[in-house]
Amino acid sequence: MLSFIARRVLAALGTLVLSSVLVFLAVQALPGDVATQVLGKDATPDAVAALREKLRLDQPAWERYADWIGGALHGDFGLSLVSGKAVGSEVAMYLGNSALIALVTVLFAVTGSIVLGILAGLYRDRWPDHLISTVGLVGMSVPEFVVATVLVLCFSVALPWFPAVVLYGPEASVGQLMPAVWLPALALAIVMAAYIVRMARTSVIDVMASEYVTTARLKGLSTWRVVTRHALPSALLPTLHVIALNVAWLAGGVAVVENVFNYPGIGKLMLASVQNRDLPVIQAIALISAVVYVVCNLAADLGAMALNPKLRTRGRTR
Amino acid sequence: MPDIHHPGRRSVLAAAAAGSASLGASWLLTGCTGASAAPALPRGAQQGTPDRGGTLRIARPPASEAETLDPASALSAYEYLGALYNRLVRIGANGELAPDLAESWEPDSKARTWTFRLRKGVAFHDGHALTSADAAYTLRHILDKATASPQAAVLAPLVDPAKLRTPDAHTLVVPLKTPNAEFPSLLTHYNCYVIPDGSARGIGRTGIGTGPFKLESFAPAGPGRITAFTDHWAGRPVLDAIDFYSVADMSARSNALLAGQVDLLSQTNLDFATARVVAASDRATIARVENAQWYVLPMLTTEKPFTDVRVRQAMKLAYDPEHVVKVALQGAGTPGWDNPVPPSDPAHLAAHPKHDPEQARHLLKKAGHEGLTVDLYTSSYDPVFTPMALAYQDSARRAGIRVRVKTAAADSYYTQIWMKKPLMATYWYTGRPVDQLFTQVFRGGSSYNETAWSDKAFDALLDRARQETDDERRRELYGEAQTFVVEKGGAMTPMFADRLVGISRKVRGYAEHGFEFDYLGIGLKGA
Repeated sequence: MLSFIARRVLAALGTLVLSSVLVFLAVQALPGDVATQVLGKDATPDAVAALREKLRLDQPAWERYADWIGGALHGDFGLSLVSGKAVGSEVAMYLGNSALIALVTVLFAVTGSIVLGILAGLYRDRWPDHLISTVGLVGMSVPEFVVATVLVLCFSVALPWFPAVVLYGPEASVGQLMPAVWLPALALAIVMAAYIVRMARTSVIDVMASEYVTTARLKGLSTWRVVTRHALPSALLPTLHVIALNVAWLAGGVAVVENVFNYPGIGKLMLASVQNRDLPVIQAIALISAVVYVVCNLAADLGAMALNPKLRTRGRTR
Repeated sequence: MPDIHHPGRRSVLAAAAAGSASLGASWLLTGCTGASAAPALPRGAQQGTPDRGGTLRIARPPASEAETLDPASALSAYEYLGALYNRLVRIGANGELAPDLAESWEPDSKARTWTFRLRKGVAFHDGHALTSADAAYTLRHILDKATASPQAAVLAPLVDPAKLRTPDAHTLVVPLKTPNAEFPSLLTHYNCYVIPDGSARGIGRTGIGTGPFKLESFAPAGPGRITAFTDHWAGRPVLDAIDFYSVADMSARSNALLAGQVDLLSQTNLDFATARVVAASDRATIARVENAQWYVLPMLTTEKPFTDVRVRQAMKLAYDPEHVVKVALQGAGTPGWDNPVPPSDPAHLAAHPKHDPEQARHLLKKAGHEGLTVDLYTSSYDPVFTPMALAYQDSARRAGIRVRVKTAAADSYYTQIWMKKPLMATYWYTGRPVDQLFTQVFRGGSSYNETAWSDKAFDALLDRARQETDDERRRELYGEAQTFVVEKGGAMTPMFADRLVGISRKVRGYAEHGFEFDYLGIGLKGA
């Protein structure tokens, strides 16, 4: 088992190194001259040349990459080209705001969708299943910015219950942001939940058809007990991966939704940084997203192993 | 593109672009069905007088995280400038120059030396009195290389900062390197707001000016607040305060207005679909700024086939500007007839060649370009670009010109497409004086000459016009310059469009033209 974990962690680290190289290369390939974008169109050739030298664009790419990754390992992502502030603390501030949305979303989406998925699985092909599956399919098909816009029209414009946009800057306190968290979280949860619902439903159907559930039923256990004690743990197993992938997806989906709500989170910072060709910020965010992705996947794998005896013993038999 | 074309440097986020593109497509469909689908948009702003006091909430698109309150900078937070500062001269509603901090100004007989007499009893927000030293310092600050002001390129060929004179506390004398009868009009630019003597280092944060509001707080690309300056020389403003909020996404801005979180959307030309939604709302409505947007299809005169003047003439004669206005603007604008000087400008020349597809065909044949095919680039940067391109395509077909409309990414449009592709869509704000317009956009070698057009005879005509001290004669020369541009230049100007501004139904006394915004008179009903 230890060697399985070790191999899995090594693979994760390898993925991270690879993605850091790709991030670096992708950012270099952004269209538009960095210096011109930062200095504005009226920049004199002298100023552009000076900035290119300051950014060390005249040096070989691998040297710049080594510098960047070396700093990143120490938590030093350099200075923003636009605001001149330290990228690390700036990104952390926006990331904290996004984490607020992510937390609420995960709570909404995971609890809600697992309950719905189990219900759909238990009432397979009866009306609760049809209703949940149809609504889930709609949620899955509609892009998150449409869901977000519809929510704004309903709950900010027609019924003025929640703010339509956040008017505070990134320094806003949790108390100031709290009223504005619900709609973005709901929008993300709707899109995200659809996948988990489907996965949970399928697992429940599979498990309920399995022999040990039949045995448990024959023993005379109540349906409720069969579901909670026997079926649920097995049904949750494949769902875990879907949840992990979706939590990782949040990092990207949040960008679009944050923009609709003008929410001062990491997604908005990313869009603004791409717009301004603020390379250190883009690189830092992309790297952090990669870390989130890899860690979520790793956690899902290890969690699955903890839940599944077969996987747990596989390493030992080899 | 910073400078005069202001919205150009505004962030337009990818998501915003995607959002407005889909909206744009929907109204285009309705637009194509004809005039019956024209929106019932209100003509003007709400009538009636505002109540004294209250706080106006404005949503604005942030320039960047590097925003500053230094008016001379290319990254100035534009919406604050007119509230915090004054210029020496401004542009009145009729398009003529109007006094601001200068009560009067006159040239010597050759228009070589200009004397400005400053208003007395004007105080800065920190209490010190305005003198000619402040005005002279402002000009030197703009011309200082360290400031990197976009307006420096316009003023540097004319003004030597070392030669400015201040014979007394309220007189500023500006000797010019070459005579220029239109010099004061160059000082109406929004980079030319007057700042206190010696303030260069702090002005970006302090915002100390002579304007009707003083700064309470400001965060680059973030929220800010300004409050009424009770000692303002023209009396105190109607409002007690203005709160500014940064909202980068266009649909987020209109949502904030619809939800009643803000009262005015600054620097937003709403697309027609959004405009109709806003106008139908109980909380908000639309104010129009007539002919505020100047739309252009520039042809790069250095790229084939537009190097041939006959091709350029054919491209202009081939299409019907009235058709473009009807389709792309749903009638909310005026046909341009390829003359860049807006109809509201006193120097505007109304005469123009007629739409003539047959003649266009003939010219193309003579130039050896029969059945011409061209690529026309647009983007979702502005909601009108693509409809304008499609309307042009549709109209030019009659002259046998095949136009392929290509959509480019919005966020790099002004670095990758503008002034690089031979034919594309763009726009500017109107409201710049005629000499500045021609000098910056059409004179050979100038930085915003987006058609790369260079004609010695035209440049000489401009030189003659700006040296001409007889007003009547000068106006004639600027008329000739317009004919010149229409006949030989590279820019097609299909139309001038009304800017559609979203405001709350509580807003009263809203007045805007060109770059001028009335911060003194705007207020709220039931404040």
